[in-house]
Amino acid sequence: MTDDYYPWGGEFTACAPQGCVAVVLLNIQYNPPKSVAIYGSLKTENIGIEKIIANTISNPSIRFLVICGDDIRGHRSGSSLIALHKNGIDHNHRIINAPGAIPYIENLKEEAIKRFQAQLNVIDLIGEKEKEKIDEAIADCTSKSPQSFGEPYIAIRLKPQATVNLTDNRALHSRIIVDYLGKVKKRGA
Amino acid sequence: MFSFTKEQKVFDLSGIPIGGQPGMYPTVLFGGLFFKGEPDFDDAKRHLRTIYELCKQTGVPVIPDFFIRKVEYIQPILSFIEKAIPKKHPFSIDIIEPSIKIQTLEQLASRKLLPRTIYNSIHIGITKEENEALRAYTPEAAIIVAFNPKDTTPDGKIEVLENGAHLLEAGLLEITRHIGIEKILIDTAALTPGENSGAAIAAIPVIKEEYGLPTGCAIHNVVEKSRWLNDFPFAKKTVDVASNNAIPLFGGDYAIFGPIENAELVVPLIAWQDILVSEYTENYFGISPVASHPRRNLLK
Repeated sequence: MTDDYYPWGGEFTACAPQGCVAVVLLNIQYNPPKSVAIYGSLKTENIGIEKIIANTISNPSIRFLVICGDDIRGHRSGSSLIALHKNGIDHNHRIINAPGAIPYIENLKEEAIKRFQAQLNVIDLIGEKEKEKIDEAIADCTSKSPQSFGEPYIAIRLKPQATVNLTDNRALHSRIIVDYLGKVKKRGA
Repeated sequence: MFSFTKEQKVFDLSGIPIGGQPGMYPTVLFGGLFFKGEPDFDDAKRHLRTIYELCKQTGVPVIPDFFIRKVEYIQPILSFIEKAIPKKHPFSIDIIEPSIKIQTLEQLASRKLLPRTIYNSIHIGITKEENEALRAYTPEAAIIVAFNPKDTTPDGKIEVLENGAHLLEAGLLEITRHIGIEKILIDTAALTPGENSGAAIAAIPVIKEEYGLPTGCAIHNVVEKSRWLNDFPFAKKTVDVASNNAIPLFGGDYAIFGPIENAELVVPLIAWQDILVSEYTENYFGISPVASHPRRNLLK
């Protein structure tokens, strides 16, 4: 069932499918109430953020994204996620004004990002580690009982086109040829 | 076990050779000193003693890799390096935050440590300010991480080295050479399971044949992120240590492992693997191991 709602997988816990809150945990040991739709930790400012986008827009009931805990040193993943929601990405797919080291969104269409911006309201609790305060913010979101955003958006993971040709006599990778002794040569050289 | 057609560069890292054809030089290890919380320098000193002793016994060189997570740790860590690491020995610094990278470079320069510094690392997140700092305070060598968020295959890794994969105005190799760093070590960017983690190993012979540069990675990170292994705590340590084996087996030149506490397990393992590689590559390709190679040190 989890796969139906959250097709991109990752390190998260799925709770109430109709819940309107998703919780992003940054360097924090905290278990949100079971009324939330999903919660999990965020580590990286690129692939980690992509998974959050894909796994929230796939469930239209989720309308709030609560981001709590201490931001990840260096990666600044939480702040980069907020920057993405606010500013989107530039022509190089870099999150505009993101403070993280490598804040690039490469595996999602811009349409998915726009959907994320429209569907989710971000509750910025970066720096907040007190359970009571986070619980309170989640309860506040839940009390608003927002409407579902409509249809789920199943993001397609953009992958480079596979070039494998099974009739090709290759070992390991198309750029090199490895002979039976283990001598490596560049293909075509 | 491989031998490459492309000429393989060998760099001298303050007395430690790195690169070349498989079987010639010992695999170089970088052992991570992470300092969780306040740096414990007594503990670090013990680990340094252990790695230098292991190196003497086996011939496998271990370079300490200092992770600097906070500005306030720059000064004590660099003072420790000055005091505890034998003069002329290399070390590497591993920093994520660009502003800490810049301040560390300035201090390395003022302490005249740059000729022994391996900068870990340059990647697509390099900022203009970091680039300028590197030009002003140029370390002896740098690890370039071939991480391409769009394409995790060996092709994607080459793209980021070659042209920046449209994320940068130039490729990481050109950027690094423009800074003035010639001793370049390629890191094939080991990613989390589910994100083509095996490509970091497959890319090693591909990249070595493409550029002839010393190549390796921090494959132990994949083990750390294999959360399912937490259900097998006894096996997890073994897998963590054994993962490093894949690097020399695929023709790689260096492995970044961590934490440095694992050195007593990783170093003999790599020595064993180096002997295996050397026996084959000498037999078939005529590559003789250097005098310091584990095969010469340990097989009498």
